[in-house]
Amino acid sequence: MNTILNDYADEVQAILARYPQDQKRSAVMPLIHLVQARDGYVTKQAMTEIAEIVGISVTDVASVVGFYTLYHEEKGGRYHLQVCTDLPCALRGADEFLAKLCENIGIKVGETTPDGVITIEEVTCLAGCHHAPMFQVQGDGAITYHENQSVDSALEIIAELRRKAAAQEAE
Amino acid sequence: MSKMVTLSIDGRSVTVPENTLVVDAAKMNGIDIPVFCYHPKMKPVGMCRMCLVEIGRPMIDRATNQPVLEDNGSPKIQFSPKLETSCTTPVSEGMVVLTRNDKVEAARKEIIEFILTSHPLDCPICDKGGECPLQNLTMRFGSKEGRFLFDEKMHLAKHVPLGELIWLDRERCIQCARCVRFQHDVVDDPVLDFHNRGRSLEIMTFSEPGFGSYFSGNTTDICPVGALTTADFRFGARPWEMKPAASLCAQCPVGCNLEYTVRREAKSGGATVIKRALPRQNESVNEIWICDKGRFGYHYTQDPARLGQPLVRRDGELVPVTFEEALKIIAEKAAHQPFQILAGGKLSTEDLAALRGLAQESGGKAWLHTYMSGGFTPHYGLSADANLGALGQGDAVLVAASDLHEEAPIWWLRVKQAAERGAALIVMNPRPTRLKKYARHVIRYAYGEESLAVAAMAEENLALAGEEIRAAAETLKSARNLVIFYGSEGLGLTGSKGLEQALADLLERGGFTGRENSGLIGVWHAPNLQAGFELGLPPAEGLADLPAGGVLYLAAADPAGDDPRQAAYFSGREFVIVQDLFLTESAKLADVVLPVLAYTEREGTFVSGERRLQRYYPALAARPGLKADFALTALIAKSLGYELEGRAASLALEKLAASQPAFEGLNYLKLAEVHEQWPQVGGSDLYYGGTSYANRQGLGKHLSRAAKPEPDAAPLREGIRDVPKNALRLVPHTRLYDAGSTFAPSRLLDQRRARRQLRIHPRSAEPLGLQQGSQALIELEGAPFTAEIVLDETIPGGTALYPRSLGVPMNAPFHAVVKPVFDKSAS
Amino acid sequence: MLTGLWQTLKSVFEKPVTISYPEEKRPVRPRFRGRHVLTRYENGLEKCIGCALCAAACPADAIFVEASENTDEQRYSPGERYASTYEINMLRCIYCGFCEDACPTEAIVLGDNYELSFTDRHQAIYTKDILLVPVPEGGKPTPQSVEPGKYDRAVPEMKDPAD
Repeated sequence: MNTILNDYADEVQAILARYPQDQKRSAVMPLIHLVQARDGYVTKQAMTEIAEIVGISVTDVASVVGFYTLYHEEKGGRYHLQVCTDLPCALRGADEFLAKLCENIGIKVGETTPDGVITIEEVTCLAGCHHAPMFQVQGDGAITYHENQSVDSALEIIAELRRKAAAQEAE
Repeated sequence: MSKMVTLSIDGRSVTVPENTLVVDAAKMNGIDIPVFCYHPKMKPVGMCRMCLVEIGRPMIDRATNQPVLEDNGSPKIQFSPKLETSCTTPVSEGMVVLTRNDKVEAARKEIIEFILTSHPLDCPICDKGGECPLQNLTMRFGSKEGRFLFDEKMHLAKHVPLGELIWLDRERCIQCARCVRFQHDVVDDPVLDFHNRGRSLEIMTFSEPGFGSYFSGNTTDICPVGALTTADFRFGARPWEMKPAASLCAQCPVGCNLEYTVRREAKSGGATVIKRALPRQNESVNEIWICDKGRFGYHYTQDPARLGQPLVRRDGELVPVTFEEALKIIAEKAAHQPFQILAGGKLSTEDLAALRGLAQESGGKAWLHTYMSGGFTPHYGLSADANLGALGQGDAVLVAASDLHEEAPIWWLRVKQAAERGAALIVMNPRPTRLKKYARHVIRYAYGEESLAVAAMAEENLALAGEEIRAAAETLKSARNLVIFYGSEGLGLTGSKGLEQALADLLERGGFTGRENSGLIGVWHAPNLQAGFELGLPPAEGLADLPAGGVLYLAAADPAGDDPRQAAYFSGREFVIVQDLFLTESAKLADVVLPVLAYTEREGTFVSGERRLQRYYPALAARPGLKADFALTALIAKSLGYELEGRAASLALEKLAASQPAFEGLNYLKLAEVHEQWPQVGGSDLYYGGTSYANRQGLGKHLSRAAKPEPDAAPLREGIRDVPKNALRLVPHTRLYDAGSTFAPSRLLDQRRARRQLRIHPRSAEPLGLQQGSQALIELEGAPFTAEIVLDETIPGGTALYPRSLGVPMNAPFHAVVKPVFDKSAS
Repeated sequence: MLTGLWQTLKSVFEKPVTISYPEEKRPVRPRFRGRHVLTRYENGLEKCIGCALCAAACPADAIFVEASENTDEQRYSPGERYASTYEINMLRCIYCGFCEDACPTEAIVLGDNYELSFTDRHQAIYTKDILLVPVPEGGKPTPQSVEPGKYDRAVPEMKDPAD
């Protein structure tokens, strides 16, 4: 029983139609996006189903999910706040920024706040070195960049995200 | 012949074929360029940077398109500003490669230092320590001190099971992707891959069971560090403490060359035991790979249940006696009686020859215990310098009634590679197998109509045949060579005979007989059945085929174990001798049971399915008091007054070579001949082949073509008799991990062992009330049994597939009523 | 002749060089190489990790080591490997101390004991239980059940080999 084919029969066909018949594996990324939009993260079950659709091994799908920081294998918070700490960013203080930010909201890198709104992650290059410290917020099907950040400005953004989450919750 | 290119490496002028990589060109000429990620059997990726060298090319004047010359007239060489990876750079005319200057040495030093930044100081406890490319290259090229701080090393999980067979040590992994590439590119079992990236990169598997591949053990060989280790050997011994011994794999007819490494072991009470099996290079048989069955399947040879003393029946009980007593009893009881002998395909060529000799001397007959027919293979099989590795564009391979991946994984790999090189692969099977992916033509037929399908392809009049058969026949017409593999899926002896003759006919009509790389290969269920067929032993599925009366002598054959109904045939005999490693079901019914040496404790030869006669050497000392099969047979013969060669295996083979034309001119010395193979493995530069051994003990020799056999006039199709009402046709298939007596003692593979399952199409299952996972009762007359139901849409309707060697007392197709077993506790 | 007698007379009053061994034993030199011992860490874990480098270094082939795998429930030594069998044939040993040099964890140490005597060859094979030192005070005997992940490193951080 393939739940992806069940839930998104048309979407899957549309995605597959974009690629030549013998290059079906190219559809793996849009399909992962599809299930991540549905579940919030990619379950092993979903990987198995995607592997079945595009005809590659589960391990190959898992490898793609593992490679990209935009895909999540675990149920995280509603918003993923991803800080780049690669060398150029670190030279501009991104690692300190990350440490202090974590300290301020009281969770460690990779953890989720108890209210389930924010997950903080350390990622590699986001192509914003010149405006480091910077991070991206992934959630609600969108990605927003926040550059030239300080701990205070980041905390403000987090507070804003929490308000947004609460408002949507109330609806 | 491809174009040759001349270049200079370290001042030496070398000539190699076009498109050779610089690293290989150097190696072929005795210059070692260190590598980690590069492996000659896989496409280069240039991940580790260890192979950096300085490369210069002749400078070309852009205006005139002519080489720029130095003052002295030699071409001016332009060196690239940076070092290049020699594993990704193909050679070009006039290239100048420097592998030993300061710049290169400095680069190597830095790459090693970089790789070691987070490599643990595990060498004293690491299984790879002593045969580790990283260790060796660090000693040779590394810096004496690291500039990184010991305290800041990354610490990662050291004990990650990728499955129950292979363990991963994440800290040791240097991310060369050899294992990942092997699984993807070489064996197309993409169950390993990288997860995450950068420093967090790790090897992972999501397959079920973990690292579910029949070739998984090979990754531990090619791993250039100790990151991947086998559960079988983990911490077993240090490499330098073990003694290697050349041997062969005795699990299937491929005849993979092995090296057993042995050591005295306190856990086994101070006995010397085999610690592990590693591949030994033979590029025309198994290259440098072996399957996991071969790697982990040797345990039966040192199983504690092995017999150590002869047993004779006294007052209905088997009691231990000395060999002298046992032989005396045989001499008394068996004198002047004809010997009816049933010999197993696990015996060596010499053993089979001795058994045949005894049968002839005594006026009896020797039979080969098998459900496959192979009488045509000595004539139609491969001979001379045939090599599956040479098949490619313009050649054709036909695989009939065999799931090669399950029956002989290395042949599967060889056929896959041939197809990838351009050979036309034709797969004939009633259900899809793993080879389908590489096939040019897939021919489906109903179980039982194998020979009809083949005959249709061979017929001139193809109008009535299906489209695929016609297309395949068309392909065969233009093929240069045709290699045919035929297995035993869905076949008993009768069906096998029919298929074999049909295939021989196909070869004959296509004019392939006598061509260099063409022939018929039987995918036997035992390592040396081919030798039995070469000796002209007739096949026998069971004791029913043997004439009654006289002495029954079973060697490495256990008909009663395969089918309890065979026990009935024991009672009518004057005297029954069983010669085996274990106290088998047949042995329990014998009058005299004679223990023998395992093949790892003696010398001998096997003939592979490709008709290659290969030698194996003793890995362990002979168990005190025990003898090899042929020597024991010779002793029995001697006690009855017949003369057989029982002194040494080499003499027995010489005697055979003198009388059997196919073996003419072959002897143990010839079989021990080796020649240089590419890639060179097993030297001090372990990084090239990993821990596979170089072949110094013999590549074996092909048997020459035997005389043409007479076609059998007997019915060629399985007779369908007394079909019970509502019966299903049950057909056998072979699974790699079965419960045969020479594989069951490898407990490590218990979790992966196939179960006694009945595979059946849902539509056939439904009316019978059979459900997925439920138990079914199969009412086989005289031997009912139960099996788990697996619904499988690839199985043709009206039939069900049962696995061999898993407790089903049949090896041939049969009809039986299948009923669900109702769980009494549930109702 | 007088000189000779004088020497004799002088010796009579000197302290004798001989000692009445075995009642009286002379202390050995600091670098004396006597019978081996296998040492333990303070918590009682064995230092030996079963790497068999001592056996590889031994010029007399006197040492036999067989390793097995540690678990956190049954832990003998830090890391993954321990010596399940450790035997030294004292008849073969030439007390060269190479084993001590080869040991990556300073587990095997040549001690002070030089009083080895056997009445048959089998007694000359010293097994692990003879060679292991007693559990130090405050330590626990092996195998120990330890908290997972605490003893992952087989080879401890080495101090400067000079000290």
